[in-house]
Amino acid sequence: MPSVKITPFKKVLIANRGEIALRVIRTLKEMGIASVAVYSEADRSSLHVRMADEAVCIGAARSAESYLNIDALITAAKITGADAVHPGYGFLSENADFAEAVTKARMTFIGPTAVAIRLLGVKSKAREIAVKGGVAVTPGSNGVVGQNYREVARKIGFPIMIKATLGGGGKGMRACLTEKDLDRMLKTAQAEAKANFGDDRVYFEKLVLNPRHIEVQVAADNYGNAVAFAERDCSMQRRHQKLLEESPSPFVTPTVRKKLQEAAVKLIKAAKYRGVGTVEFLMAPNKEFYFMEVNTRLQVEHPITEAVCGQDLVKMQIEIAQGQPLHITQAQAGVVHCHAIEHRINAEDSDHHFTPCPGTIEEWVPAGGLGVRVDSHMYTGYTIPTYYDSLIAKLIVTAESREALLARSSRALGEFVVRGVKTTIPFHQKIVTHPEFIAGNTDTGLIERMLAEQKNESKK
Amino acid sequence: MDTKLITDITNWLKTTDLAEFCYQKGHNSIEIKTREALPEPLQSTCHLTAVTAPALGFYHAAQKGKSLVLKEGQSVKAGDPLGLVESATKKHVVSTPIAGVLRVISAEEGKPVEYGQPLFFIEP
Repeated sequence: MPSVKITPFKKVLIANRGEIALRVIRTLKEMGIASVAVYSEADRSSLHVRMADEAVCIGAARSAESYLNIDALITAAKITGADAVHPGYGFLSENADFAEAVTKARMTFIGPTAVAIRLLGVKSKAREIAVKGGVAVTPGSNGVVGQNYREVARKIGFPIMIKATLGGGGKGMRACLTEKDLDRMLKTAQAEAKANFGDDRVYFEKLVLNPRHIEVQVAADNYGNAVAFAERDCSMQRRHQKLLEESPSPFVTPTVRKKLQEAAVKLIKAAKYRGVGTVEFLMAPNKEFYFMEVNTRLQVEHPITEAVCGQDLVKMQIEIAQGQPLHITQAQAGVVHCHAIEHRINAEDSDHHFTPCPGTIEEWVPAGGLGVRVDSHMYTGYTIPTYYDSLIAKLIVTAESREALLARSSRALGEFVVRGVKTTIPFHQKIVTHPEFIAGNTDTGLIERMLAEQKNESKK
Repeated sequence: MDTKLITDITNWLKTTDLAEFCYQKGHNSIEIKTREALPEPLQSTCHLTAVTAPALGFYHAAQKGKSLVLKEGQSVKAGDPLGLVESATKKHVVSTPIAGVLRVISAEEGKPVEYGQPLFFIEP
C-alpha cells in the first residue's frame, strides 16, 4: 500500500449548474471548504450563483460557450484560486480532456483520472476489462465490428443490440430482432453515432428481452480499497432516459445482491479506478446479470444510495480526491437501512410525448415531511432557461418498507405544487399506483406499456 | 351607457393635443389636462454603448512588449482594437463595434474580468 498523502482543499470550483451544483455546495459548506459557482448569462438568477461563496460569469447561454468551455472553466478556477474542481454530472463530468486540463493547471479533478475516464468511456474497452477481471458480460462482438459483421451477429444469435462505441443516452443504439433487418439497422446506428459522437464505430451485444437495469454504486480510494453499495433499480426508463430509480431493487435477493457487489468491486479494481462511480448491469428474468458500462461520475440518482447506506457520497468523493483512505468497510457500505425512491421531476408534458415545457415558476411548494428530501434549484418566480435539461427537482422518498415507501411517495407527489409549467408529477403518481409497479414487475419495458395503456384509455 | 358618445369623444380627443379628459355628470365636473401638465418622463435611456468582455480572463491593453494608450474623450472607428482578454489558453480581442467617442474606460490593466462585463462606454 502506498503511503497516505492527504492534501485538504480550501476552495472548490463547481463546473456545473442546477440542482447538482447546489448539492455539491451544500457538502462543501459542511466540510468548511469555500465554493465557487460558475454561470452562463442565462443563469444569472440561478440559485447556485447565490448559494456559493463566489460566482463567476464564464460565457454565453449556450453550453458550448459556458458549461462545456474548458478554457473558461480553467480560467475561472485560476482567477478565484480554487485548488480543486468538481464536475457534477453531465456536461464535462466524463470528459477526459477536461480532467487532464484541470490536473495540468495544478488543481485536483474531483473524479477518476483522465486515463480511467478514457479507458472506461470507450464501451468496448470497458467490456475487455470486465472479461479480463472475470465479470460476466452479455455475449457480444468483443470489440468494434468490421467487414465480417454478419457472421459475428449470427454467432451471438438474434435478437442483438447495435451500440455506438462512444455512445450514451440511447443515441447510436438500435435493436435488431432478425437477420433481415441487420443491414438497415446497422446503417441507422452508424449514421446516428457519426452525427452525435463524430465516430461511427459500433459493436454488437446479445439483446436480453424484458431485462432490468440494475446498477451498483462503488467508491474506491487511491490505495486500492474499494466498496460497493446496495443496488439501484433504474428499470423505469422511457427511451433510455431514467424517470424513477429505487433502492434496493424489489427483484434482487440478498444472495444476488452480494454477487452484484462482488462483481462491481472486481471490475473497479481491475480498472484501477479511483473515486465514486457506478457499474451498470443488465439483469435477465432468471436473475443472471451482465456488465454493461461504468459511469465515471456521480450519478443523478446518488441520493437514494445515500438514504439506503446513510453516507454522504459527495463528501466521500471529495475525501477520496483529497487523498484520504476510505473510512468504511464493505459491510458498512452494503447495509440496507431503508427503501428509497427518486422521482425525477421534469418540466415536461407527460401527456404529449414528454415535450419540454420551460417557463416561469408561478408557484413552488415542494413536498416535505418525514422521509422526504427535495433536491432542486427552483423557486417561485424563477424562469427555467431553454438551453439546458428539463430536470427541475429530484424528489427522494424513504421508508422502512417498500409498501410504506409507495404510500409515502404518493402522499409526497400529491402535496407537491408547481404552477406555471407542466411537470412529470402526474406521471409519477401513475407509476407509484400502477399494479405492475406495486408488484415489483419493473422491467425496462414497463413505462412503454404504461404509455400504451394510457393511449388506449384515451381512445375509449 | 352611450357607447357611441364615448367613441365620439375618443375620436375627437385624438384630433386635439389634450392628454386627459374627465367628465362627471353628477356635479357637473369637467377636468381637462394638456400635455404640458403631465409630469416629465424620466430620462433613463443611456446613449452610451457598452463594449463588454468577450470572455472571462485578464484584461490587457496590448500584447506583451507592445503598448496601446487609450484616453477618455478620444475618437474611435468601428472595429478599432481596445485591448485583449487573456484566458487560460486563448487571447480574445476586444474591439469597438461602433464608431464614436470613448467616454468611459472601466477596464483596468491586468485585472480579471468576467464574461459580459462592460469594459468601455462609447458615445456614438
